[in-house]
Amino acid sequence: MSHPTDDELVDLALGEPVDADRSAHVEQCAVCSASVEQLRRTARLASGSESYAGWHAPDDAVWARVTAQIDADDPLRAEVPDTATAGTAYAPEPGPADATVTPISAGAARVTRRRAAAWGAALVAASLVVGLLAGRAIWSPDESGSVSQVALKTLDTRQREGEASVVRTGDGLDLTVVTDRPLDAGDGYLEVWLINADGKRMVSVGVLRPGETGTFPISQALIDQGYVVVDISKEQFDDKPAHSGDSLLRGQLPA
Amino acid sequence: MHVHDDPDIESAELAVRLAGGDREALAEMYRRWSPLVHTVALRALGTREDAEDVVQQVFVAAWRGRGTLRPERGSPAAWLVGITKHRVADVRTQRYRAHRNLQALASEVVTEPATPHDSDWAERLLLVHELERMGDPRATVLRMAFIEDRTHDDIARTLEMPLGTVKSHVRRGLLELRDRLKEVERVASD
Repeated sequence: MSHPTDDELVDLALGEPVDADRSAHVEQCAVCSASVEQLRRTARLASGSESYAGWHAPDDAVWARVTAQIDADDPLRAEVPDTATAGTAYAPEPGPADATVTPISAGAARVTRRRAAAWGAALVAASLVVGLLAGRAIWSPDESGSVSQVALKTLDTRQREGEASVVRTGDGLDLTVVTDRPLDAGDGYLEVWLINADGKRMVSVGVLRPGETGTFPISQALIDQGYVVVDISKEQFDDKPAHSGDSLLRGQLPA
Repeated sequence: MHVHDDPDIESAELAVRLAGGDREALAEMYRRWSPLVHTVALRALGTREDAEDVVQQVFVAAWRGRGTLRPERGSPAAWLVGITKHRVADVRTQRYRAHRNLQALASEVVTEPATPHDSDWAERLLLVHELERMGDPRATVLRMAFIEDRTHDDIARTLEMPLGTVKSHVRRGLLELRDRLKEVERVASD
């Protein structure tokens, strides 16, 4: 005898009248009785949802953590080609105008996505080497000047629309952020963040006025602890100190 | 015909786009389903901090594991809830270990964590979500049948609907909800 239809199984599960030979089959058939049991469980779970008390959205900052973590663990998006020059010396204390036109060396690993996929492992290894070399060159003490920089790109289209650079000053580090054109803050304002590569932690470094270059004091300790993702977010005047989750531009500092 | 009026078709499109590596599809999924994921985690774990960690892990895992999404199985909501169950179980295991280690330090007998939990919360909340999403009159018929526990005759009279139509909505609806739970099970048991 053939199996009952889905409709008949539902009727059996709900205790509706069903032909006697159909219910006899289900009692004998492991597949059908499991099916009926699944349908009963579904009905039971649906009926128990009356104590449901509403949805709770996560804090907006969680989305920024998600994208930061995805960016951090994807070498194709981790700005390796653009930052491969980080170890080379720049003129000391470049002004904001210089920062926007600092040439990216043609020797930087300029790879297409397709090739990059094939060479993914090599790229990761290369970026580690670059990172180590850069790290040695960059973070040697008592040297002034630009030590690290990264293109800031939109999260969705990866369009380059600005740049962040870390400059060593007499008594610490300055993070300078410049955008190619004024960002639209809408009714709110722009805030600059350093997000940890673990995607879990972030610190606000200051407010950026649209169309202006922003320079913010940061510390070596922050960099050492992994706060290397520069992020510009659009914030509302809502008394919420956390990241809004609305990131406009982002880039990860090398090493 | 506006195909986008159908939430199922829209969800399936999102699933296809995510599987193809579209970051905007992940953002859209987050907008739609992060409250569902967060509420499940919050119910299961009790603290906002742990729940938000789970939300982060679920959407990062969704991106990394986008190849395991089966667009033909309908709404990615069930897939996300399956991943959420996984993560919640991980957090519970960590808590249990921490608890056990503390107990061991104190030379006490190892016991199960004290807080009892209803292991079906994820499924219950997914069904609430699916009922909210489902168009009327089917959603109303299902609510009256399962939540209010009314007979099909009663529902037919109240909604001034033929009895056969009521039965048909109950059957289609229950089968659809059953398929969502199967998807949760598939992902959570991976």
